[in-house]
Amino acid sequence: MNPILVSVLSMGLLALAFAAILAVVNRKLAVQEDPRVEAVLEALPGANCGACGSASCRDMAERIVKGDAEPGACPVGGTESARRIAEILGLGEVEVVEKVAVVHCGATSEQKVKVAEYRGVKTCSAANLLGGEYACRYGCLGYGDCVRACGFGAIYMADGRPKVDVERCTGCGKCVQACPRGIITLEPYDRKRGETIFVACNNPDRAPAVRRVCEVGCIGCRMCARTSDNGAFYMDGNLAKVDYGKVYESGNWDEVVEKCPRKIIRMERAA
Amino acid sequence: MELLLIFVAAVLTNNFVLHYFLGICPFLGVSSRMETAVGMGLAVIFVMTLTATVTWLIYHHILVRFGLPFLEYVTFILVIASLVQIVEMFLRRFSPELYRALGIYLPLITTNCSILGLALFMVLREYDFIEGLVFGIGAGIGFTLVLTIMAGIREELAFADLPRAFRGAPITLITAGILALAFMGFSGLIRV
Repeated sequence: MNPILVSVLSMGLLALAFAAILAVVNRKLAVQEDPRVEAVLEALPGANCGACGSASCRDMAERIVKGDAEPGACPVGGTESARRIAEILGLGEVEVVEKVAVVHCGATSEQKVKVAEYRGVKTCSAANLLGGEYACRYGCLGYGDCVRACGFGAIYMADGRPKVDVERCTGCGKCVQACPRGIITLEPYDRKRGETIFVACNNPDRAPAVRRVCEVGCIGCRMCARTSDNGAFYMDGNLAKVDYGKVYESGNWDEVVEKCPRKIIRMERAA
Repeated sequence: MELLLIFVAAVLTNNFVLHYFLGICPFLGVSSRMETAVGMGLAVIFVMTLTATVTWLIYHHILVRFGLPFLEYVTFILVIASLVQIVEMFLRRFSPELYRALGIYLPLITTNCSILGLALFMVLREYDFIEGLVFGIGAGIGFTLVLTIMAGIREELAFADLPRAFRGAPITLITAGILALAFMGFSGLIRV
């Protein structure tokens, strides 16, 4: 027999046999899937960062389609993704406030008073168990757990403290969870002006105690609260806070920034 | 006795991953977590066992009978691809979590050289049907064993304070190398 003919025939028949088996199995093991899940998944960022609390973007898509989560539940996708998802599901307009991470500690390693030498595992969570190297019990430990937690490369260490690249930050909140001292929070970001305003201190102690541990800690002088024209800054005990509902409407916040004697009302600008 | 030797050889002394360096891609790709490593291992055991039996039958009853052993590569790949497809559908239906966790590595079992290697070794060493079956199970178990050992080590390594240059792939490759050295210790056990 002609070997070419035999090869073609036998291979063809084998392929056919396997194709038949696959077809049967495919029919038997078919998975019913809502096509909208796939569409919603397309509209999500696909970073699988876990910031929404779901294990993956697919998981999130399934929850959104089922109605267990809002279209804007993805903190990374922001308004644009929420709009597309709402369109897919036939829902109305949605508005999402964009947030970025801000670090409530602005002291460089020279500005903080060092009281110990730490030689343990070089992570903030480990160092925090012993209190870290610095006298301030509220400030940044400086080992960069937040930098490692960030899936978008939006946090970097500069002079011993983390800085946020507001253009890259998606507001996913991973760093917020990573920081054992809770000095990172998510705050509204003014996309028009491309900046966030925040108080770079987290120390609620009174002025003498703050002065002992840090050169740039908030001393509770109330200058910002008095200067602001619309009450966008207020005091929470001895610590200045920003009222984000008002601050971007404020007319004179640059004056507030200027007048702060410790220079800790700061802005993070898009480059 | 002969069967036991084939089995032990496939698991330990001539382990597919650490002795022949076959199937390195999933070995490095899915060994970062124990859960996925075990899932992948089970999938590979399944595919290897089925491949061994099906390719043996096809090789001896079709290819040899019609004088077509030169078609072995094409045929084996065809068999493997179909089997992996079935495994994939099966997992997708019954364990969507594992299906997602394995991701691209599941369809990549198709191009996993250890599976093709298994089929070719079987022909080369002229195993009979039962021997081939045992060889397939052994090779699969060997793969799973190494994968889980590696996953266990890598789970511990994730918390180690490594120099920056060694983090990620470099330390994984070094670990794999040391593991291969350790498995060299078995080599005097059996001669294949």
